[in-house]
Parts: sequence; structure tokens; C-alpha cells
Amino acid sequence: MIEFFQNSIDTFNNTHHIIQLCILLTLLLIAAIIFSLLYLKNLRDRLKIKGRIESTYQKKYASDLIEYLYSADGENINPEQQKKVDYLTKCAQNPLKRKIIIKTFLKLRNEISGETADAIQNLYYQTELIKSASAKLKGKKWDAIARAIKELTQFEIKETHDEIILLINHPKKEVRNEIQKYLVKLFRFDGLEFLDVLESQLSEWDQIQLLEILNKFDNPHIPNLGKWLASENKSVVSFAIKLAKLYNQFNVKDDIINLFEHHDPEIRIQAISVVSHLGIYEAVSILKNNLFNRNLDEQIAFFKMMEDMSTPDEMDFIREFVNHENFYIRISAMKILNLITVDTDNTFRININDTELIIDNVLTKAS
Amino acid sequence: MNFSKKIVLAEDNSILSTLLKFKLEKEGYKLLIASNGKEAVDLIENNNPDMILTDIMMPFISGLEVISHVRNKLEMTTPIVVFSSAGQEEMVLNAFNLGATDFMSKPFSPNELIIRIKRLLQ
Repeated sequence: MIEFFQNSIDTFNNTHHIIQLCILLTLLLIAAIIFSLLYLKNLRDRLKIKGRIESTYQKKYASDLIEYLYSADGENINPEQQKKVDYLTKCAQNPLKRKIIIKTFLKLRNEISGETADAIQNLYYQTELIKSASAKLKGKKWDAIARAIKELTQFEIKETHDEIILLINHPKKEVRNEIQKYLVKLFRFDGLEFLDVLESQLSEWDQIQLLEILNKFDNPHIPNLGKWLASENKSVVSFAIKLAKLYNQFNVKDDIINLFEHHDPEIRIQAISVVSHLGIYEAVSILKNNLFNRNLDEQIAFFKMMEDMSTPDEMDFIREFVNHENFYIRISAMKILNLITVDTDNTFRININDTELIIDNVLTKAS
Repeated sequence: MNFSKKIVLAEDNSILSTLLKFKLEKEGYKLLIASNGKEAVDLIENNNPDMILTDIMMPFISGLEVISHVRNKLEMTTPIVVFSSAGQEEMVLNAFNLGATDFMSKPFSPNELIIRIKRLLQ
């Protein structure tokens, strides 16, 4: 055996340097592969054990939760329930156990409503889990803050509002997004107050998410949108226009008219587009007066809006655009003329001098 | 009196199943729990329950397949209450087309479920 190793070392020493390098690299690679395999096996075993521990604890906490809920016999907490509260409070001191307890509570709370859901929320307070979530809000890790806000949203904890609103301009988008959802889910339209102080831009996706949450609430109590329509933040203005349209806020017509002179062309176009939905007839003459000073997209938006807002008095004005160089303006102008002249004369007549359009009477009769 | 009334519950959320088991047994019903559609079909075939409560989304066999099996293969007229989540409106319509009796949208109140069960089993 020793001789074999001695011969191998001698052979290695006598070979070319490049071959020596290749052999060394191969050995290194084999060592790395063996190390990785061992590491992965160890990791897999640890994850399996962790999963088994989590599963065991989850079963235990689920059983404790059910017993807590089942033993409720009135508004006040009974000794049996207090025992469970004390036990869960003690367990919640450990981060892993706290995570499992929260996961267990949410697994049930997301599926039920009414008294039982309220009881789970009470248990969240009693086990002092709210304290750990509030503490995370003051931390430096953005992901922990976002998770804490999400947890508070899921348990519908309104008490942390003042702490959370302070983070509304957090540099991380994920945190801001969780805060916005927290405010709107828990405080409905009143939660939109964050728009007063929001410095970052609300993305289209954020806006869709917020509108979807608001859409679930019956009897909407819409706050005054005027201040948001005059906001310095472009995305807030855009969102306020969408709210005005969705909830038919005719009372903001003056603010919408003011937006025709907004510095951002996208906002101007959005404001023009909402005119027909809200039926702001006074906006038509304002837009007509300086139509030529507006860019092409605004002009197209104007004509699109006029398809619903035009009156017979505007016939001469519209007729001027029938031969406009832009296709969309031309089509809109024709549509409008066709609509407003439906009871008077037919604007579009078949040119009977065009031989291609004359119906062959002989062929028609024959068929 | 109600102890003879057997209810099969097909629900993959074990905590919700246990809670409903406690609540319904307190009301005098016998609850048979299945954690997936396949188990639910076996329980229904072997126990001939008085009512079936089923979630729509379940492993192996969905709630819709359970309803279809009960109505078309077993030809049972047992009342079936379907649990649906937000965004499953289309599936609820399919469930009614297949023969579901009633539906409850999650999150639902267990007390409301008990009232509905009582009404349907009257």
C-alpha cells in the first residue's frame, strides 16, 4: 500500500506541470463535491427535523387553540382559558414557537368570521403577541417590519395605527405596500389619509390592489378628493381621479377642470377622459378654447370624450376635424357627427357617382 | 335525537375541521372528517350521511367531483353545502349546476353554519 502511494507520488512528480495542475484540480473538485453532498445531506436532515418539530408544535398549538375556543362560556375569560393563555404566552417567548403559534392562529382565523374570529383576536392580545409585532416595527430589518405589518393586518389590530403611519415613506417599497394595505383594509376610506403625506409614487399595481380592497366595502363613505387632486404627487392625483370616476364624485368637477392645466400630460389626459363619465359639460367649452395648444394625445382624448358629450351646437366645430390628419381624431369626429345628425340630415351619403358603389340592378333582379 | 344525523365534512384545513367537529358534536350531530376528496367519497359511500359539507379546493379529488359523484354515481339526494373562497364564484355556480344545495363563502361564521345545517336537516 505504502509502495503504491510512493509510486503514485513519484509518477506525479515526474509528470508535466500541466498534468499535475489537472490532477490537483480534479482532486479539488472531487473534494468540493463530497463536501457539498455532505453539507446538503446535513441541511436536508436539519430541515426535516425542523419540519417535524414545527408539525408537532403546530398540532399541539392547534389543539390548545381549539380547547381555548371550545371552553369559552361567556364574555369573561375562565380559569381553563387563562391556563391556555399563560401557556401560549410562555411559549411565545421563543421566536420559533411564536412563529408557529401565529401561523396556527392565522390558519383558522383566515377561514372563519364572527365570534370565533373575535376570540382568536382576543387571544392574540392576551398572549402579548401584539408586543412582539410592535417591537419589530421599531427594528431596522425591513423584511421583519413588512412581516409585522402583514401580521397586524391579518389580526386586524387597529391600535398600532399611529406607529405604522410613521413608516409610510419607508425607503422599501414592500414596507410601504404593506402599510397601505393595512390602512385601507382596517380603516377603509379613512385609511386613505396616507395619501396626504405619501412622498413616493403609487404604482399602477398598488392602485389596483387598493381599489380592489375598497371595492369590497359596502356603503362607501368617500372623503373629499379635492386635496388629493391638487397633490404634488402625480400618482396620488392619478389615484384620486380613478376614485372620482369609480365612485361618481361629481362634486370634484372644479378640481378636475383645474387638472387640464397640470404640468404632467398623463394627468391632463386622465382628467379629460373622466369628464364624460362625470358629465362635466362646462369642461367642454374650456377644452375647446385651447384645443390647438394641446398635444395630440390630449386632442385624441378630447374627441373620445366628445363622443359622449357632444351636442348639435358643436356640429360645425366637429365638422372641421372630419379630414384631420390623425386617424383616431377623424374617426371620432365622424362618429360624433353621425350621432348628432341622426335626426336631421345624413352626414355620410353614398357617392352615387362612384361606379364601384352602384348596385348592379340587373344582377340583383336576376339573382 | 340528532345523534343519528351523520354529517361528512370534507376540508383540508385540519384546525377548521376540528373546530367544526367540536361545535357540531356539541349540537348533537355526528361528524365524519375527511381531509381530501378521496376520503370524503369513501366516507359517503360507507356511511350514507344525512348531510355533506365540502370545500371546493381539496387535494386528489375536488369538491366539485365529490358533488358530481354523489349526485350522478351514487344518485343520493343528501343536502350538500359547499365552502368557497373569494374568487371562486365560477366554481360555486358549477357546484350548483352539479347539484349543491347551499354554499358558504369563507371566511364564514361557524354559528351561521350550524343554523344552516339545522334548517336543511329539518
